[in-house]
Amino acid sequence: MGKKTKIKINYSICGDGNEINPQECLKCLKVCEPALFLLHESFGVEEENPYDPQIWRVTPLYPSLCTRCMKCVESCPGEAIQVTW
Amino acid sequence: MCDNCLKHGTAGKWYLNARNYSNEIVEEYNLREFLIEQYKNFEQIAVRKIAGFNGVGLGYKIQMPIIGRIVKHTAEKMLHSTKPPTNPLKAEGHIGQVVPLDDAIAILEHCAAEPIIQKYCMCRYMHRGEKDACCINFGVMSEIIEKLPRFIPVDEKFQLTREEAIERFKEHNEKGYIGTIWYGPYPYINNLCSCANPECAGIRPRLDFGINSIYKAEYVVDIKPDFCEGCKECIAKCQFDAINFDPIRKQSIIDKSKCFGCGVCLHACKYDAIGIHPRKDFPELKGIY
Repeated sequence: MGKKTKIKINYSICGDGNEINPQECLKCLKVCEPALFLLHESFGVEEENPYDPQIWRVTPLYPSLCTRCMKCVESCPGEAIQVTW
Repeated sequence: MCDNCLKHGTAGKWYLNARNYSNEIVEEYNLREFLIEQYKNFEQIAVRKIAGFNGVGLGYKIQMPIIGRIVKHTAEKMLHSTKPPTNPLKAEGHIGQVVPLDDAIAILEHCAAEPIIQKYCMCRYMHRGEKDACCINFGVMSEIIEKLPRFIPVDEKFQLTREEAIERFKEHNEKGYIGTIWYGPYPYINNLCSCANPECAGIRPRLDFGINSIYKAEYVVDIKPDFCEGCKECIAKCQFDAINFDPIRKQSIIDKSKCFGCGVCLHACKYDAIGIHPRKDFPELKGIY
């Protein structure tokens, strides 16, 4: 077991109602082989309809499963993802 | 038989006991509001903190010497909980088991409470971004779904009759999805899912992190060497890495200790070489779920 993989997402570019709406983009989720990203509603945002939330963000949920293939970094249209180890 | 069957199966399998599907349990535990609240926040559950821990970076947390054991213990205690559920933001008492096609048909024919619906698989949406209507729900879940528009399939009929539900389930099973039945929350059964690895949030903790979040089926698959032609079709279907190819004999071989008994490989075999047998027929697998 080598160094831990760290995956960072810049939420000022992607999600939380900023430039890129992850619900429409979904590129990182689709290219990730171990499917380690999680798409979920943003915390603490005032939603018009809490039963059908519109403001979402992506969290790298299980970085331990990352294969370091960098496909998510390449596919991100806003260059919001950083993978380091 | 597992503990759940002994307690709730009336001398059979827990998921074939119609009481576990009944509205009595919904009323007893007041599950209507509970389930609305839970599914309203479904995608957030993994990132919410529970007892100081959330699911982010679970793999690394589990690897830590002492904290890892606490995390595993806390998670299993929550999933296996048999107390009345209190917090809808936790996956309390949400434990499932793999079911092969025949048992799933028996559930849909005899046990599942009306109305029956199909909805988008939340796991596949939150982990893969795909909307695939492959979850079959019954009873009170079908009633509250109208409040949660993001799960309702577009351009597809979502209210199903029993026959349609069986037809849909067969389609998914042949495609290679694993049939799973879930307490949600214990002791109420409302989900018959068609899961795929690695997207399934229920199977993955067990396969990747060793958290016992789903039981193996009551069955196990066996390959008859006399019939196997070595076409490898079954290997491609197995999501648990239980089937391997023996290059010397040019045949598929199965590791029964890894087999979850989902029976998906049966659809792939053209030579009738695969059979599905009750787990208790194999002494080495008795009691291992």
